[in-house]
Amino acid sequence: MDDQSKCLPGPLPGQPVLLETLLRVENVGKEFPMNDGANFAALRDFSLTIRNIENKPQIVSLLGPSGAGKTTALRIIAALERPTSGHVQITNGAEEKLRPVRVGDVGVVFQRYPLFEDLKVVDNLIKPAVSSGIPAKEAKEKALCFLDEFDLVRQGLAWPLQLSGGQRQRVAILQQLMQNRHFVILDEPFSGLDPVNIINVINLINRIAHQHTLNTFIIITHDVTSALAISDHIYLLGRERNEKGEPIAGSRVMKEYDLIAEGLAYRPDIEDLPRFAELRKEIRLTEFPRL
Amino acid sequence: MAIENAANKSTLNNAKDSLGETVRVYGSLGAFARSNLVIVWIGLLLLVWFFNPIKALPFPGEVLQAFRRMWSADGSQGLLYNVYVTLKLNIVGLGYAAIISLAIAYLSVIPLFQPVNKMVQWLRYIPIVGFNLVFLTLFTIGWPMKVAMLTTGMSFFLVTSMTGVIASIPRMKYELAKVLGYKDWRFFYSVVVRPTLPLMIDMIAQNAAIGWVMITAIETYNRTEGGIGSQIYAYSSTNNLAEVYAYLLIIGVIAVLEDWGFTLIKRLMFPYSLIAERG
Repeated sequence: MDDQSKCLPGPLPGQPVLLETLLRVENVGKEFPMNDGANFAALRDFSLTIRNIENKPQIVSLLGPSGAGKTTALRIIAALERPTSGHVQITNGAEEKLRPVRVGDVGVVFQRYPLFEDLKVVDNLIKPAVSSGIPAKEAKEKALCFLDEFDLVRQGLAWPLQLSGGQRQRVAILQQLMQNRHFVILDEPFSGLDPVNIINVINLINRIAHQHTLNTFIIITHDVTSALAISDHIYLLGRERNEKGEPIAGSRVMKEYDLIAEGLAYRPDIEDLPRFAELRKEIRLTEFPRL
Repeated sequence: MAIENAANKSTLNNAKDSLGETVRVYGSLGAFARSNLVIVWIGLLLLVWFFNPIKALPFPGEVLQAFRRMWSADGSQGLLYNVYVTLKLNIVGLGYAAIISLAIAYLSVIPLFQPVNKMVQWLRYIPIVGFNLVFLTLFTIGWPMKVAMLTTGMSFFLVTSMTGVIASIPRMKYELAKVLGYKDWRFFYSVVVRPTLPLMIDMIAQNAAIGWVMITAIETYNRTEGGIGSQIYAYSSTNNLAEVYAYLLIIGVIAVLEDWGFTLIKRLMFPYSLIAERG
């Protein structure tokens, strides 16, 4: 790893230096046909921009209540679904221009962490990497390194069905990172976890993200506390309301929270800070009910 | 090496855990208790049989005597000969049907072949003996015709079950492979073929039972070579029910052995599938 790709631990010493744009979602709309012939708008004018932060990875949360179109947004960013309007552009660093996103540019850690159940854990890491063009020797070395680093050595030759939930989650994330790419979306990674395990997952994502400054993790969640604890930016996804207070079809980014500017990003003691409690209260009690 | 050793140990421990902690809805049984229960139930069945409340059922002693008679009979009347003929037909027919059905089922992911798959599925409603004349025209009477009839008849059912297995692959699995960069044949093999193979063995095992029902019908229509079906037909016509039940018992034993064989194949080739079954 070259020096430029290394991340600094802990909070940034001064103001963050924002470099090139890594991901741009512009005016994305998505409509689904309904049984009655009408269209259902899941997203409308959905836009967000993620820029490379010098010496830090990018950890962004898409926060919203159930039904806010988070999963649709995930699928469009990962190019698993085509938007009805708008576009998503991506780049792998300063050397490359922004270009339309393709399937495989963005890794996805799906809910319930699907793996290839017919492959042992180590093969779940090696085989997809090899099929994506990484030399077998390099893939094997990287896989063994990951297993060692993320406390999965003893599970290397186990079948995925023999893993605990936490182990499975780690393997699913590492499987995506084996591909020499920097973009990973995690779909509800805190869902169904107890508080201790939520802290473990936050630490894990932070640790993995901090392996490279270009690493960009987009977390899809409705868990306000965890989103605040892990992110540098939070985008609130939801629906606008008309004068009568009725929601307008199609979700979009309603509010952006820059946690670096708030002095909350990269702080292990974030939950002890008064601003953290204030923001959490604001999002939970004021913003969420409006979405 | 250290990683591999540690992983081996861990796999073993986890496998033991998954065996020990198997949870079934109404409780779980250890191997010892399970085998004892099987003995108890067989004992109860034999007891009922000895008292024989159903008059049409021959007594165990009569069936035993029928076994002796058939064992000592020569040539096409002999027990071993007829079991051999039918078993061979069963294995060959099942083998052909499995290969053809796997091909038709897996090709159903390609839109061009989907109508063929659907048509084969519809044909399962039509009794195979209805095609007797067609088979007679296409194949020589005897072995080739029996194999063709059994293969075709079983394929109708196998294609239906195997296509169901493919249809139940979760969308998430396809998408996982897509985001991991799988393409073309690798995508097809890794998502559609490889993970479904143990389930396909289950489907073959289930349909092997249907095969036995068909075999007896097919051998009744093609009696030239003998076989269990033709013998059951012959003994039924002459009201020798002891011989009929002797053959039915043999089919039962073969069925148990076949089931055991399929489980063994799964254990050897796809060990993870058994972990899934044990919960």
